[in-house]
Amino acid sequence: MLSRTAENLFWSARYIERADSLARLLEVGYRISLIPNTERGYTNEWESILETSGIKSEYFKKYKTISKENIIFFLLFDTENSSSVKNCIKTARENIRMVRTAVTLEVWNAINSSYHELDKNLKDTKNILKELPEIIEWIKKQVNLIRGTILNTQLINDGYDFLILGTYFERADFTARIINVKYFILLPSINYVGGDIDNFQWSLMLRSISSFRAFKWAYGEQEITYTKIIDFLILNMTCPRSLIFSIEKINHHLGRLSKFYKQTSTSNKKMTLMYKKIKNLNAHKITDIGLHEFLKSFIEEINFVYKKFEQKYFFGSET
Amino acid sequence: MYNEVYKNSKVRKFYNQIYDWAKSLPENVIVKKKNEAENLFKKIGITFSVYNNFDSTERLIPFDMFPRIISSTEWKKIKKGVIQRALAVNAFLNDIYNSGEIVKAKLIPENLIYKNPAYEIKMIGFKVPKRIYSPIIGSDIVRINEKTFKVLEDNCRTPSGVSYMIENREIMMRMFPELFEKLKIETVENYPNYLLDVLKSLAPKKCNKEPKVVILTPGSLNSAYYEHSFLADLMGVELVQGNDLFVDESVTYMKTTRGPEKVDIIYRRIDDKFIDPITFDSSSLIGIPGLFDSYKSGNVNICSAPGSGIADDKAIYSYIPEIIKFYLGEEPILENVKTWRCCEEDAKKYVLNNLSKLVVKEVHGSGGYGLLIGSKSSKKEIEIFRKKILLNPANYIAQPILELSSVPIFDKKKLSPRHVDLRPFCLVGANKTKLVDGGLTRVALNQGSLVVNSSQGGGVKDTWVLNE
Amino acid sequence: MKVKITHSTTYQYNSTVPRLIQCLKLYPSVCDNQEIIEWKTFSNNGKILESHTDALGHRIQNIFINNFNGQLKITSRGILKTKDLSGVVKGLKEKVNPLCFLRETDLTRPCKNIEKISKNSKKNNKSQIEFAHKLNLIVSNSINYTSGSTTTSTSSKEALKQKKGVCQDFAHILISAARFNQLPARYVNGFLLEETGSGVNTTHAWVEIFINNLGWVAFDPSHKKCIDDKYIRISTGFDFKDASIIKGVKNNYNGDEFLETKVNIETCQ
Repeated sequence: MLSRTAENLFWSARYIERADSLARLLEVGYRISLIPNTERGYTNEWESILETSGIKSEYFKKYKTISKENIIFFLLFDTENSSSVKNCIKTARENIRMVRTAVTLEVWNAINSSYHELDKNLKDTKNILKELPEIIEWIKKQVNLIRGTILNTQLINDGYDFLILGTYFERADFTARIINVKYFILLPSINYVGGDIDNFQWSLMLRSISSFRAFKWAYGEQEITYTKIIDFLILNMTCPRSLIFSIEKINHHLGRLSKFYKQTSTSNKKMTLMYKKIKNLNAHKITDIGLHEFLKSFIEEINFVYKKFEQKYFFGSET
Repeated sequence: MYNEVYKNSKVRKFYNQIYDWAKSLPENVIVKKKNEAENLFKKIGITFSVYNNFDSTERLIPFDMFPRIISSTEWKKIKKGVIQRALAVNAFLNDIYNSGEIVKAKLIPENLIYKNPAYEIKMIGFKVPKRIYSPIIGSDIVRINEKTFKVLEDNCRTPSGVSYMIENREIMMRMFPELFEKLKIETVENYPNYLLDVLKSLAPKKCNKEPKVVILTPGSLNSAYYEHSFLADLMGVELVQGNDLFVDESVTYMKTTRGPEKVDIIYRRIDDKFIDPITFDSSSLIGIPGLFDSYKSGNVNICSAPGSGIADDKAIYSYIPEIIKFYLGEEPILENVKTWRCCEEDAKKYVLNNLSKLVVKEVHGSGGYGLLIGSKSSKKEIEIFRKKILLNPANYIAQPILELSSVPIFDKKKLSPRHVDLRPFCLVGANKTKLVDGGLTRVALNQGSLVVNSSQGGGVKDTWVLNE
Repeated sequence: MKVKITHSTTYQYNSTVPRLIQCLKLYPSVCDNQEIIEWKTFSNNGKILESHTDALGHRIQNIFINNFNGQLKITSRGILKTKDLSGVVKGLKEKVNPLCFLRETDLTRPCKNIEKISKNSKKNNKSQIEFAHKLNLIVSNSINYTSGSTTTSTSSKEALKQKKGVCQDFAHILISAARFNQLPARYVNGFLLEETGSGVNTTHAWVEIFINNLGWVAFDPSHKKCIDDKYIRISTGFDFKDASIIKGVKNNYNGDEFLETKVNIETCQ
């Protein structure tokens, strides 16, 4: 397969995943806005939404203050924001368009029709908050449709691997960022469990990865503790948005590529090590290392894997 | 004006069935089918981008459902004529880049060739694989009357539109299968196989295995990108951009996930000046550094050959009858349109005195740009062109305003005649020529308009060559 | 005259160049004006590969280097025996019709000042060659030689406007003026032996104009004369850009490139 084809497939899937993550973040935003603005207010929640989406500095280049209307606009429609949902879908479609023949007609149709329906469904209105749930629903529906057609219709060949790798590199990145932005609420020093504010904070975090209910399923109706959350977000193989889940997928598909091409790759070797390491961890060990330190080295390692992966398959210059 | 459907207010025999069918369609069905066709095009993703349009929006090329029919006798003549021209053009290119016999014979003024920037001096003396410079030629043909088809121009570099020829047929077959049972229509679906076959026959000197063919596109923002990916798909070859290829020690490779893979034949859809920043325009970002060197070392073939564009020149076009006679020793089968070359004093005088009755074209222009249609232009526009011609006469030619033949379209709900032209695609390989029986019919959608270019309000029709 | 020449170009890169290609036209022209006794081009990095001889007679060579970092030095060295043929360039091995050199290029497009120059040189001349000499003279006086006053992308029009330039600009102006008068003209790169005493020299540029019955005649508008046995001809083209002796492309490279050229010419026995 042409290197650029692999790169286009990878980024297309990556942008789709990003649109999905943004929709979930906005869902959290919507929830906040429904809660009466008492005591401290939730301005900093909106700020962490910006931070989690990774475009805080871009936002402040354009706006001076935090305003939910501006943030919603910026995250959803703003064409100046390269990672707005609108641009994500546009870029995803552009990437696929360039390699149209590498995907099935069904996948192309799903992405192409999402793109063509963009303007109709992603419309900025005066009362954007009111429209938000419907918009979010639409985005999630499109993402699921696209992903579904990928899973159901694509040949399970190297192209498929690049698509899946795009999804999970993005997801690992996003989950790591969410935890990183909010890691202070998971510090053992905050030992109040059951306080309204913490409960609220934690629930927001779980909701932003659409896992609030799932958490309850996994851990029952007992009290929420930080170790349980760490376990859930980082180490739980049943949670599709945990770090270990993404790592396992990336490892699996890098391994498949190596086998498929009958070539070893540094990214694959490194990823296998990473996966082994994370499998042997538990929440207490992570707290011992320090959550922040753990995340820092996690992000560094996955970036290294990505660099090697990119050099080998996209640039043809692995050294 | 020649109406292809009616003759003395009676429908011509071979149009009978189609005409009855079109007339019988209820209004609501026409509207429904029109939408259906549009949706199909949209779904498949056939769009084109318009030049001079900075946000490069994609548009659908308007498709009209009323087919244009060509009888088998008419087609035989067109086919022969088009092949004749394609062979002559290749012989001409081979000659002017080598010994220049036609110039020595004083059949074409040497200035017209050597002063022409499209004449690429870096190609002089180079033995192009199999002596084929331009393997794909799209000639634009117009019909003047019952007997006469004339060629307006021959596009020798990278003619586009062939994807519409194939897709139009696909859509018609999907929407109106019953018509294809009634009439025997030649298929066009073999084009991609023919093209691959022809390209493979043009392997470079240093290729001693099954040649690897790729299509080189400037990228997805190009107006014909859809066509590039369409052809790559149907031919089963890679669609590459400049950045996908690289040259090492004069060998051309493409970057793949398995590592570098040698490339033998490049069907390029980018202009000469962009193909290699070392040899041509050094600011080109879409080219491949070293490609020309790889070409000249016999490691890769570039189709069409750099420098083929000289045969596209409209002043050279006016010599095609002489070119055919000189190289093939035959009389031209298809006529040229009478052409005044403004570089000649008498012709210039005539043109300047008759601007309102002529079409004036830039010799290097294409796509309907840089064009004056005298009868449809304001005094001011004519004066602007007068100045342009006086300033640089050699840059212009003029032709009479032709009454293109007409075929009806579904205008809103009823049939209404519009002007059409025809572009068949002739393929020239090593010791073979191929031409599918069909072509692209372009139609000027605005009533009375003679401009059929898609960038300027033109649409397309399916073209049926009858098998009788 | 027998001369010994050393020409070197040194490139310095401050980060890794993924793919580097240098295309060289460094072999002296084969013609009656100069006999090549020996000539060699080598580089401190990468192999120099022979490519092809183009239609203008250039022997083209290439260097391909992957993942390159540091210094690349390309050196040509050799001995030539030159002859003074009163400016007429004889015995060139080329296949290009002279009319090709009537084309305009961006660097040599005519302008009002070029028209003026042509008008002034047209008075009382009888033959093409006389006219060409006159043009050369007028062009020589049209701008002042001022080193560093123009860049590699300065056009003849711009140089004329600011009334100063270097040999490249003199050449471009003469080319524009000659072509404007339907005389084929082209840019020539080479070396000029100047009596500096030290042997240190620079590359030089001049013009060839095609004269019926004589062929290509070389004029040096920077020095108001035709070439003689102090000139060594290396490459030619439509203009500076087209004739350049080394052309390189660095793909996907964002770092800097530093360049230094050195020429040393000495007479020898």
